[in-house]
Parts: sequence; structure tokens; C-alpha cells
Amino acid sequence: MAAFNPLEFRQHFPFFQSQPDWIYLDNAATTHKPQQVIAAELAFYQQANSNVHRGAHQLSQQATALYEDARETVKSFLNARYREEIIFTSGTTAAFNQLAFGLMHSLLKPGDRILISTLEHHANIVPWQLHCLTQGVILDVVPLDSQLMPDLEAYQALLALKPKVVSLTQVSNALGHILPLQQMLSAAKAAGAITIVDGAQGIAWQVPDLQQYPADFYCFSGHKLYGPTGIGVLYGKTALLEQLKPLLGGGEMISEVSFQQSSFAALPARLEAGTPNIAGAIGLATAIRFLRQFDAKLINQYKGKLLQQFADGLAAIPGLRSLTQVTQSAGILSLQLLNEHPNDLAVLLNEQKIAVRAGSHCAMPLFASLQLPGAVRFAFAPYNLPTEVEKTLEALQAATDILR
Amino acid sequence: MLQQLIADTANGLQQICQHELPLLQQPADWQTKYRLLMQLGKKLPALPEKMRQPEYLVRGCESRAWLLHYQDPVSGKHFFVLDSEARIVKGLLAIMLCFVNGKTSAELTDVELSRHFDALNLRPYLSQSRGNGLNLMLQRIQTVTSA
Ligand SMILES: Cc1ncc(COP(=O)(O)O)c(C=O)c1O
Repeated sequence: MAAFNPLEFRQHFPFFQSQPDWIYLDNAATTHKPQQVIAAELAFYQQANSNVHRGAHQLSQQATALYEDARETVKSFLNARYREEIIFTSGTTAAFNQLAFGLMHSLLKPGDRILISTLEHHANIVPWQLHCLTQGVILDVVPLDSQLMPDLEAYQALLALKPKVVSLTQVSNALGHILPLQQMLSAAKAAGAITIVDGAQGIAWQVPDLQQYPADFYCFSGHKLYGPTGIGVLYGKTALLEQLKPLLGGGEMISEVSFQQSSFAALPARLEAGTPNIAGAIGLATAIRFLRQFDAKLINQYKGKLLQQFADGLAAIPGLRSLTQVTQSAGILSLQLLNEHPNDLAVLLNEQKIAVRAGSHCAMPLFASLQLPGAVRFAFAPYNLPTEVEKTLEALQAATDILR
Repeated sequence: MLQQLIADTANGLQQICQHELPLLQQPADWQTKYRLLMQLGKKLPALPEKMRQPEYLVRGCESRAWLLHYQDPVSGKHFFVLDSEARIVKGLLAIMLCFVNGKTSAELTDVELSRHFDALNLRPYLSQSRGNGLNLMLQRIQTVTSA
């Protein structure tokens, strides 16, 4: 493959032609969509629209084939073993709600423990909490070390308590830090835990090879991977997925229903009640095919370069403090202006048409543990350009001038 | 303590009405506007940490603010004390208070905040996302004064 060309990559995203004035650095919240993805969704509705798995007619069969092709694309992308292991959901949040509900009502017993880290997004906290109290399950949290990475000694000590489930994020959405999951998950497996990975941020950084990866479950959202909103994936090992109690009941997920009881359909239908997001699945598969034209390593190198350029520039602006260790980051840098609330900085950046996120980034417990009101997050994608980094630095300088 | 804060707030608001609001109405670059907004927030006293109680908290999406309310039993006038973690938000909230502080319930029903913000060219801030919490503060003011 040729060297990565960011300008060429950027050309695929019509958003930038529509909004030429904005510098978009909120890529951890959602990424933009390439023309191919937009066209694929449109084409489905214009040319192939039908419901899946049910019509006796050929149109439905065609729609079903497209939908199942999308599952096949995701399966090969993640190198999963079986297509049944790929469950389409509306996103990471939905995947975690299914996981929490399903595990709490099957494999987990009162007194069991679940282990997460301080870096988790609310999606990997709240669904567990919804059941912990009623099910008598205990949620443990790995604290952070001085580098704002999981404290591995404390992690080992918590593993000694024999948690049934260890659920960790691949990449922290608030700081960008890449967790040493190979090591952490292997230790969790050795301790006999079911392992879950929140790949919402990680998927755009490193796509796991799920046949090698020590994760039983892996979740991600399409919209953070240049795909549409409202589509995501819950991957699970077949034996475990089969034991999950379905969160949603309804059409498609049953084999037989009477008013006394119902029996469930086989995977993946069992966990996909109701009409799925057919166009979304097709859009996601298109995003994956789009992305596969590019060398992931080169993309990461390029993102790393942008991040380094940004970090170097920050050093010249007094008062700014990065919470992110740039060398540990998947393209995100979160910072603080000393003694200032992140919202003020974000408002002044917004005024200069720099799109960033300020606040606690759906990771309130993390910022509570840091005793900070939040941070301003700059999340880079491969369509961002060195000139944008420069302009962002200038805008930061202007903002800090006003605040001081 | 509360009485002092109320007096200081009323004082600050009076200064804002006289000095800063006319300045805001003049055309200026965005930097000047924000500097003014932040200056104006500083005219209101800071709420001591121990008074930042949950019952006064108004939680915006990105920052927290607090509102204390007192109605004079004789005149029926409403008085407020307010603070925010974020300086720009505090400035905007201070402007909001200019139009409601010291008014009776009857007078408050006539206040059209959006018209005032229009006159100051600050309308975009009022309608901006839930992020800045301005609308939440407005609702809180309406709730406490109609109770
Ligand atoms: C680490 C992480 N987990 C989970 C989520 C939730 O994803 P979604 O809102 O797409 O369900 C996000 C999104 O911000 C995230 O960054």
C-alpha cells in the first residue's frame, strides 16, 4: 500500500465541503461518514428496501442477503470464528445493557463480583449498577496509577477476589489512554473471569483479531468508525451468547410462542428482537470496506504525528496542562487550563469554530477521582490536517489570552 | 451571611446595568465581548464553598451553577445570589439576573428575557445547547419564584 495521504482520505468525506469553516476535533464523540457510506444507506432505501427474514417475496430475500452480508463483513473484519457471534445492536450502550442484563440473569449469583476500571465510560458502569443492587452483585473498580493508567498491582489484588466478570475499555474516551489489555485480559482469563472489552474508542485505533484476543465479548459502535449512528456490534463467544438472557423480547427472536411460554430462536436472531437497523448494518459494512482500503498502521502513525505536533505546540502556551500521556494515546489529548473551568475554554474555541468536547465526557467517576471538573478533549482522526492543528493552537492561544 | 450576599449581588447587578450592559450593546470583536462577559461575572460575589449545597445546584451539561433565592416578606420582591464554576456562564447568568432581581412575582411574569438578550446581541447564547445551563437557570428562577 502507498503512503497514507490525508488529503485524499479527507476527500471522501462530504461534510468538509459543507462546513469548510469548522475544524472538527470531536472525533471521539462521532466521526464523519464517507460518501460511500451515505450512498449505501440511500441506495438501500431507494432500491432494495424490504424487511429482513420474513417476506415470502424475493425483495425480502434480497434485503436479508444484504443484511447477512453485512454481518459477514463484520465477522471477517474482527476475524470472529462464526457469524452467529456477531449480534447487531444499536450501539455500544445497547450492547452493554444486553450484557449486563443477560449475565446478571444467567451466570451471575448474589455475592459475585464484577471488575471494571476507573477509566470506564458510563456505558460500562451504569448498566451493571442497574442490576447490582437487586442481584446482590458487587462492582469493584481498578484505581489509576500516577500516569492515569490502571494500577496493575491493585488490579492483581482485585483479581485475587475472583471476579466473575472483568469488563474494560480498550481506549479511554476521556484521556485517550490505551489500556494494556493483552496483559490485563490474559490475567483475568487466568483468574477464571469472563472478559468484556468496550471497543467504542479502541476499534478506530486497533481492530482486534478476536481469535487471538483474550476477550469473550467485544462491543463497538459504527458511528465512531465512519459508519452510521444507531448501529453497533456485540460480539460474543457462542457458548456464552447462548447463555445470555435476552434483554428484548419480540418478533424474530423466538422459535415458538404460546401465551404460556416461548422458546427462543438460535443465534444471532435470539438477541436481535424486532426489525433491525438494516440500512445501518449495510452502512457499517460499507464503512468497514472503505477503511480496509487503507493501511491501519500508516493511519495510526499519521494520527500519532498530528498528536505530537499538537502536544509540542501546547508546550508554548502557558497554563495549559495535558492530562494525556501522548505516547500512550490513541489520538486523543485532554487538557486543562490551570485554575479555569474547561467550559470557558470550550466556549472560546467554539467561537473560533473549533469543535471539541468539554466536561467529564461521560466518565464522571474518573474526574471525581482526579478531583477535576473535567477537561477539554481534542480527538484527532485521519482526515484532520497539520494546518488544522496549527489553527487550533492559535485558537487556544487566543482563548487563553482572553482568560488570563 | 445570606443577607450580605444578597446585598453584594444587588450592588453588583446595579453596576452591571449601568456600566457593562451599555458597553455590550456596542459593536465589538468577539474577544472584547467575552472579556466583558467575564468581567461582569466578577461583579457578583463568589458563593462560599459551604453554601454550594445540592439544593441550590443547577447542573448544566458541562458546568455547575448555584442559585439562592430570597423573597422579602414585606415587599414581596425576589432576590437572588448566584455563582457558576465557569466564568463565561457566570457572566451570562449575571445578565439574566439583571432583569429579574428585586422584582415582584407580578413584575416577573412580564419579563421577556429573550427580548433583552436580543437587544444585547446575546440571543445565540440563550438558545445554545443545554451545555451552558442558561435555560436550566431560567427554569429554576421560574420555579422558585412561582412557588
Ligand atoms: C469508551 C466508550 N464506551 C461507550 C460509549 C457509548 O457509545 P454509544 O453512545 O455509541 O452507545 C462511548 C461513546 O462515547 C465510549 O467512548
